[in-house]
Amino acid sequence: MNNVILELKHVSKHFALSGLRNISKVVHAMDDVSFFLNKGESLALVGESGSGKTTTASVIAGMYEKTSGEIYLDGQPVLPFKTREASLRYKKKVQMIFQDPFASLNPTHTIRSILERPFLIHKLAGSTRELEAMLCDSLEMVGLSPAKEYLHRFPHELSGGQRQRVNIARTFAVSPEIILADEPTSMLDVSIRIGIMNMMLDLKEKKHVSFLYITHDLAGARYMSTRIAVMYAGMIMEIGPTEEVIANAVHPYVQLLKASAPAPQEGVRKAAIPAKGEIPSLVHPPSGCRFHTRCPYAKKICSEEVPAMRDIGNGHFVRCVLV
Amino acid sequence: MHADAILELRNLKAGYATNAGFVRAVDDVSLTLHRGEFLGIAGESGCGKSTLAYSIMRLLRDNARIESGSIIFDGTDITSLDEKAMNEYRWTRMAMVFQSAMNALNPVLSVEEQLVDAVLAHKQVTRADAKKTAMEMLELVDINAERIASYPHQLSGGMRQRVMIAMALLLKPDLLIMDEPTTALDVVVQRSILQKIEELRHIFGFSVIFITHDLSLLVEISDSLAIMYAGKICEYGPSREVYASPDHPYTKGLMNAFPTLTGPISRMGGIEGQAPSLLSPPPGCRFAPRCNVAIDACTKEVPLLQVTSPGRLCACRLCGGNHE
Repeated sequence: MNNVILELKHVSKHFALSGLRNISKVVHAMDDVSFFLNKGESLALVGESGSGKTTTASVIAGMYEKTSGEIYLDGQPVLPFKTREASLRYKKKVQMIFQDPFASLNPTHTIRSILERPFLIHKLAGSTRELEAMLCDSLEMVGLSPAKEYLHRFPHELSGGQRQRVNIARTFAVSPEIILADEPTSMLDVSIRIGIMNMMLDLKEKKHVSFLYITHDLAGARYMSTRIAVMYAGMIMEIGPTEEVIANAVHPYVQLLKASAPAPQEGVRKAAIPAKGEIPSLVHPPSGCRFHTRCPYAKKICSEEVPAMRDIGNGHFVRCVLV
Repeated sequence: MHADAILELRNLKAGYATNAGFVRAVDDVSLTLHRGEFLGIAGESGCGKSTLAYSIMRLLRDNARIESGSIIFDGTDITSLDEKAMNEYRWTRMAMVFQSAMNALNPVLSVEEQLVDAVLAHKQVTRADAKKTAMEMLELVDINAERIASYPHQLSGGMRQRVMIAMALLLKPDLLIMDEPTTALDVVVQRSILQKIEELRHIFGFSVIFITHDLSLLVEISDSLAIMYAGKICEYGPSREVYASPDHPYTKGLMNAFPTLTGPISRMGGIEGQAPSLLSPPPGCRFAPRCNVAIDACTKEVPLLQVTSPGRLCACRLCGGNHE
């Protein structure tokens, strides 16, 4: 247990809708989410858009206040922060890489001023000279060298890949223990994605950080992680060791996700996938299992009760009554 | 022209006038598309693949133009047609599914008005008949015909993209051009739309040009594959063959750039650097600055697209092709 750095227990996040017509209506963006993250581990959180994966990261990062449940860092319950100091202490340990490298860097600031913020906020540099050295180190670390060439530039002068490298440098600046990477490569060109993924894997080893790697790409999750959690409509449906979840997907949704992924080695598949419908509204999520409206195997019970997470061995858990 | 060719591009050059100069986004592209064929064009953003699509449809923006070369559609060179003559082809013979269905549909018009408009603009039929055609087509893309009264915001992303496909197929064109039709969609929805296109292709027998940056997807669904880099086609061939044994170093890099769901997990390489600016492309082979096997000569001479084996073309002096 002492190897666990972060743990979520039954965490939910509901967003209130605005407008008079919507009083007391909420979006169930994240419901009963429980998982743990080990020290130095990379856990992939996989799901389609609207599945709640970014909400999960944002709640962990402290950007949204959770509605219920507990989040533990090093065994201590955290959030909401009681003092600014507590917030700073937490945020120094937990950092987030954002999806959009074009929107997440202030276009009117130079790379220097973007990158020195974490050092200044967390008072990490003793002198200007030390700060300068730290800035250069962090840029060189993400492959932007010589660093001096980049410090005076503006974000628009960099390519998407370079911008995402700046984002990653900023994230690592405070020597965090946990990185929440929210689809860090989805907006980059295919030829440079793998370079960014490799860099994150290298940094994870070198800096001994734990990764929560959020993606919609099952194959990318396999490349990046040792365990996978699959989310659907705000709930985790299956979690377990990466190879086991992918090779022996148990939950019908995970099977569907797997069958939908491009598989160039297999050629055109003749068998149609049993996909029907799309992700349901999270304002009125389906009763019972949230996937039952699309599930080809759904029985009566599936619409009546929310299945609990069941242990099927080897650290593999599934939220399906039919298993 | 091949007997069964529906479209042939010959040395097509097209580009944009910008403040910084002329950007030739499509540079000397030649391609043949056969009837019923599914051609995939893969390339990264800025490689000219969308410009190529808009050139074929003659839908380039005001600051863009076709410089030279020909686009031969079913025996007629359409590059020189005036707007009126072009309208005989556009949508009736060739239609397009645009990248973002969210933006391509008019938000203040119902699906009915938009579909019926498309029919009436090109065909002498009554409004009632046009609506009937539209409703039949909606059913074919798995949308309940009653949804024809819906407005775009009442439909999900996947349904809007299906409406776009229905609109493109209304007049039963011979050629369907799809510009990243599934990029904004989730994988499950993407898969069901691809299945639908395959199904409709077997019903109507149209040819497809499918443009995407997702090579893994293309390899799976297309008959033949053209890889574009910096405005030029660098490799062409049957998809399965190109996937199994890519010739061009760029294709090899791309094939090694996406993780897979099966097989051993090994460290992948990807491609160093970034695509060049088309304002001032590098001399010689445009991929040379990023190529890990480039030799001096690569930066001096432009490699031509040459036959490497039957049905396969490659523009690289290191894989058997000649050069200028």
